[in-house]
Amino acid sequence: MEDLKELKKVEQLADQCMKCGFCSFFCPVYQEDKIETSVARGKNYLVKQVLQGKQEFTDEMGTIIGKCLLCKRCVANCPSKTQIDRVVVAARAQMVKNKGLGFIKNFAFRKVMSNRKAFGRYVKMARAFQWMMPTTEGTIRHLPDFLKALGQGRNIPSMAKTFLRDQVKPVYKPANGQKAKMKVGFFMGCAMDFVFPDIGLKIIDVLTKHGVEVVVPEEQNCCGAAIYFSGDFETGRMLAEKNIKAFKDFDYVVTGCGTCSSTLKDYQKYLPDTEDQKKRYEEFEKKIKDSTEFLIDVLKIPPEEFKLKKEFEGKTATWHDPCHLVRYQNIKDQPRAILKALKGLKYVEMANADGCCGMGGSFSVYHYDLTKKIADKKMNGIKATGADIVVTACPGCMINLTDHILRSKMPQKVYHFLELVE
Amino acid sequence: MIKEAIITDLQRIVGKENTLTSPEALKAYSYDGTTSWIEEPDVVVFPTSAKEISEIMKLANAEKIPVTPRGGGTNVSGGSVPIQKGIVLCTTKMNKVVRIDKENLSATVEPGVVLQDLTMMLMKEGLFFPPDPQSFLGATLGGIIAENAGGPACVKYGVTKQYILGIEVVLPTGEIVNLGGRTLKNVVGYDLLHIFISSEGTLGVITKAELKLRPLPQARKTTMVVYDDVSKAGEGVFRVLENGVIPNKIELLDNWVINRIEEMMPMGLPKDADAVLLFECDGIPEAVEKETEKIVEITKQFGAVDVRIAKDQAEADKYWLARRAGFAAVFGKAKTVMAEDVTVPRGKIPDLIKICKDLAKKHNVEIVVLGHAGDGNLHPAVLTDITNKEHYDRAVKAMDGIIEGAVELGGVLSGEHGIGLEKQKFFSKITDPVVVNMMKNIKKLFDPNNIMNPGKIWD
Ligand SMILES: Cc1cc2nc3c(=O)[nH]c(=O)nc-3n(C[C@H](O)[C@H](O)[C@H](O)COP(=O)(O)OP(=O)(O)OC[C@H]3O[C@@H](n4cnc5c(N)ncnc54)[C@H](O)[C@@H]3O)c2cc1C
Ligand code: SF4
Ligand code: SF4
Repeated sequence: MEDLKELKKVEQLADQCMKCGFCSFFCPVYQEDKIETSVARGKNYLVKQVLQGKQEFTDEMGTIIGKCLLCKRCVANCPSKTQIDRVVVAARAQMVKNKGLGFIKNFAFRKVMSNRKAFGRYVKMARAFQWMMPTTEGTIRHLPDFLKALGQGRNIPSMAKTFLRDQVKPVYKPANGQKAKMKVGFFMGCAMDFVFPDIGLKIIDVLTKHGVEVVVPEEQNCCGAAIYFSGDFETGRMLAEKNIKAFKDFDYVVTGCGTCSSTLKDYQKYLPDTEDQKKRYEEFEKKIKDSTEFLIDVLKIPPEEFKLKKEFEGKTATWHDPCHLVRYQNIKDQPRAILKALKGLKYVEMANADGCCGMGGSFSVYHYDLTKKIADKKMNGIKATGADIVVTACPGCMINLTDHILRSKMPQKVYHFLELVE
Repeated sequence: MIKEAIITDLQRIVGKENTLTSPEALKAYSYDGTTSWIEEPDVVVFPTSAKEISEIMKLANAEKIPVTPRGGGTNVSGGSVPIQKGIVLCTTKMNKVVRIDKENLSATVEPGVVLQDLTMMLMKEGLFFPPDPQSFLGATLGGIIAENAGGPACVKYGVTKQYILGIEVVLPTGEIVNLGGRTLKNVVGYDLLHIFISSEGTLGVITKAELKLRPLPQARKTTMVVYDDVSKAGEGVFRVLENGVIPNKIELLDNWVINRIEEMMPMGLPKDADAVLLFECDGIPEAVEKETEKIVEITKQFGAVDVRIAKDQAEADKYWLARRAGFAAVFGKAKTVMAEDVTVPRGKIPDLIKICKDLAKKHNVEIVVLGHAGDGNLHPAVLTDITNKEHYDRAVKAMDGIIEGAVELGGVLSGEHGIGLEKQKFFSKITDPVVVNMMKNIKKLFDPNNIMNPGKIWD
């Protein structure tokens, strides 16, 4: 009998499914390939078969549980509230444990991403070699190797010349000599750090303008999304410990990355192995605030107080809901409130605003053809709004949306919502 | 196990990528929406045209390999479970809406089109397809026709068979035939079209259908009526109808279901009510107003304790969401749920409810009732646990009692879910042997080698 410890933790969740098949309508993957093993019902059934000892962790099983965006569209619409994301992630973890990391075929996670310094070096090296790669549209280039994760002929942004970590100060006092209302820890996240450092600085700037003292602890690490969602719980727990330690002195940890905020909050859901871990992860969750909710719910800034930057005046904007905000954290009203209140900006709602963009972390690495088809639906939604700019709050989505906007030869630019404000 | 060579032939017909044989895929096609029936096929194929299906059928017929058609796999009678193994023929990749004809109020669809996708397309044209099985998010038109599905709206609009003008079918022997047509009237010989509606995939594979549509109603209004006695709710249904109002839907939730829904998603249903009826009227705005007024008046006269008219669509949506959640509420509460599909003439609803209550007491099991009260199609569900033999036996006895009771009241075994595997035991018990024999002979005529979804309807 195989070790099924991780899976046993979600057995009750898997039992929730009553096989009604409603999820087939919402699952972006099933909508493309129309095969039962792709839909939540099928994945859940197969995982239950593993639990009953009737199915082994074959390569095919690895492919099936890998073929999930973890977008939670199924969960949000399931009449029994079956949490497929947790079932799938637990199955991946069990498989990694029993079969080794090989099935994810990307050892970069453990070797590179878990070591912040090494990762930085690695990305730098990648950048140094960038000139060797063919140039594609605009400023966007291919990147070698690990960033092949984002590669495969895709339009991906070049690495920043100077990473955020090399630019930030340890402490930012509130602007204009205001007295600090609050002191928060700022969580950078890999994408802000290596690809969008300017956005990171911008967020810090907005926070200090609103009287917040921002501290950027040097010991912070990758949030672990790509790692633990792929089933590497061991490295995930290690990262969790590092981040908990790095932010132990703060009441609030703020980040501008929707995936990071959700990943940090959800250590308690996916990772705990002991009661003690569970307790500490739960305490950590309470501190985490996505920038969207921090501004509106914690600082309680009236949306009208935000001023639109000059360059965006007269533009039409639409909002893309990152899965990790809308379904993982139920954050959807806060960013819309700000966008709608920005004078000089026209806001148009997208019909499929909460549809997954098709990124799904490493999903897009192995199933880029599916990612393209899923993204095409998003592109149609964007087109239909007539917007000039697409606004969101997750760098992962920004990278993917930009890729497909360029691929579809569309004119829109993609922004983090805080890039729009003064 | 079927021979390697057959798999190769199938791959040649539908393509390698449309032929699944991995053990994992076979497991994923071993079930439907029921809890009790599981069997793995030898191979799953995804044809994309009637021609491919014809070739598959010829091959299967020559080799005597069972073929089970499958759409969304949402049926709750074991219908798409390949109980004798062989080939599962899945239509999910034949999902184009070929044409929407506004002038003739009709549409041509492939069998794998999911009802909700069709509904959304029709809405843009100001049209709708009235049959509304509550599984519309997963059910395909092929499955809907094969099960003659119907939902709440059948009170006013009827069920699937009233909305199929014609179909293209591949027979078990491989011929492609067209039955019916595109006209409203059609009396050219025997009505073979309707033999396929509710045939549960045992006579052939539906590869195209011509659907009859209606213009989308301009207005709709929902009314919730509260009762302190579920039998009075049953009476309310036919009182409204006999007084000349035909609402589009009349649905019933009993006390147990109301409370489970409130636990799952509090939405202000009256928790102490013994039952509620949900009415929806649709049509032109003035008529909808008048009909709603009339419902309020009649239900109050016949024992309703409270009546609430939804003030806007948002409130109405809330009630209908609750109704849909009812199903999940029931299934989430017990290891095994025996959900029945008995249907009685509308006037007998109070009697059937009483029978359920008495049986629950007699056998000491929980029986909950929610259903399409407007058409007499109740779904009494017995909550049990198949691993607890003693309890399960009592539940089976209660269920037998419900079915016998319904039949005595002049009702039928299944209103919409079909016989499949789930109801075979009762089917042979309550159906006239002469009739069963006629059905078997018809089956033989279409399917001499008994390869088309074998093992279903009768033993
Ligand atoms: C939560 C829930 C609610 C439901 N509510 C309702 C309801 O309100 N009303 C109702 O009537 N039903 C209801 N059902 C039952 C079910 O959804 C219907 O029977 C539906 O019509 C099945 O469609 P499908 O595409 O899923 O077919 P499947 O389940 O795949 O197949 C059903 C049957 O049709 C046959 N079949 C499928 N496609 C074809 C084809 N192209 N040619 C020939 N035969 C074919 C199969 O062999 C099988 O016997 C419900 C089910 C669930 C799970
Ligand atoms: S996961 Fe939910 S929606 Fe999907 S089949 Fe199971 S119960 Fe139905
Ligand atoms: S999480 Fe998304 S991709 Fe995964 S099964 Fe659910 S709907 Fe499909």
